[in-house]
Amino acid sequence: MTAPHADQLIDGYLARLRAAAADLPRATQQELIDDMSAHVAEARSREAEETDATILNILDRLGEPNVVVADARDRLGLKAEPAYRPGLLEIAAVVLLPFIWVVGVILLWVSPAWKVRDKIIGSIFSLGGYPFIFILGVYAGHAVAPRGYSCGGGVDSNGNVIQAVCTGPSVLDVIGNVLGVVAVIVLFLLPVLTAGYLALRLRWGRRLETAAA
Amino acid sequence: MCYIAGVPADGLVSQMRRGALEYCVMALIQQTPRYAFDMIEALGQTGMLTTEGTLYPLLSRLRRDGLVRTEWRESTDGPPRRYYELTAEGRRALTAFRNEWTSFRGAVDGILKEATKS
Repeated sequence: MTAPHADQLIDGYLARLRAAAADLPRATQQELIDDMSAHVAEARSREAEETDATILNILDRLGEPNVVVADARDRLGLKAEPAYRPGLLEIAAVVLLPFIWVVGVILLWVSPAWKVRDKIIGSIFSLGGYPFIFILGVYAGHAVAPRGYSCGGGVDSNGNVIQAVCTGPSVLDVIGNVLGVVAVIVLFLLPVLTAGYLALRLRWGRRLETAAA
Repeated sequence: MCYIAGVPADGLVSQMRRGALEYCVMALIQQTPRYAFDMIEALGQTGMLTTEGTLYPLLSRLRRDGLVRTEWRESTDGPPRRYYELTAEGRRALTAFRNEWTSFRGAVDGILKEATKS
């Protein structure tokens, strides 16, 4: 083989092209890469003898990825958008989500700094925020009181205890109580964990895909 | 392009070449559909296209604007090729440019010639 680095050179070129075109709309980016790959394949098929030098010449004639992408932006009327920098909006969304859930969710969906998937996760797993969880907890507390030691007994008209029979909790009660405690811990951690997740998933310096008219 | 006046003559020429290139490409496929590599070879001899890769965004643009349509075809001596063909709208645009260009060239030539006489 006379062009031992052919694939390496071509893959490297296409990777640089992909990186340069990262902020173009997905379809435009893919079309450009497909066209350029087809071009290289066509050019290679025409070389009588392939060497690393002929590959380099093919890529040289194609042009620097940055130059080609800049030209594409110009031709297709696509502006290079400055990177979006998360700021107060995102901080407010993350901080408010566990406490004033409605406001947090609105800010979450308004911000372009998160992907739709993360916005959905953030909206669902914050569980409506702590006020909602608290209200839910109060209702649940009324419905299912924790069971444990219970004593049956009473007093007679003179104030003497006439019966005092206490029963210990059954195994099922213990399991139920443990599960209850775990559920409460999870309920109270989830909104904060969700906020933490959103903070980590912020797309710092993400470029926006926008097409100028 | 209103900023042409602001760039030096060098930039002006490259802007003109850039603008005219779209129509040169359309003229290349006026008679028969061609694939991009074929067009690049034809343009390469004229000096109209120095960075070959820039032809592809141009072709995308023409297709997006409905001036050309494309079709992949198998080839006997290489990988499949995407052929570009002029649409009716493309033909109208090319004819309009041809008329504009002829009168523009005539006007500029006339003035340049007058200037050298005096």
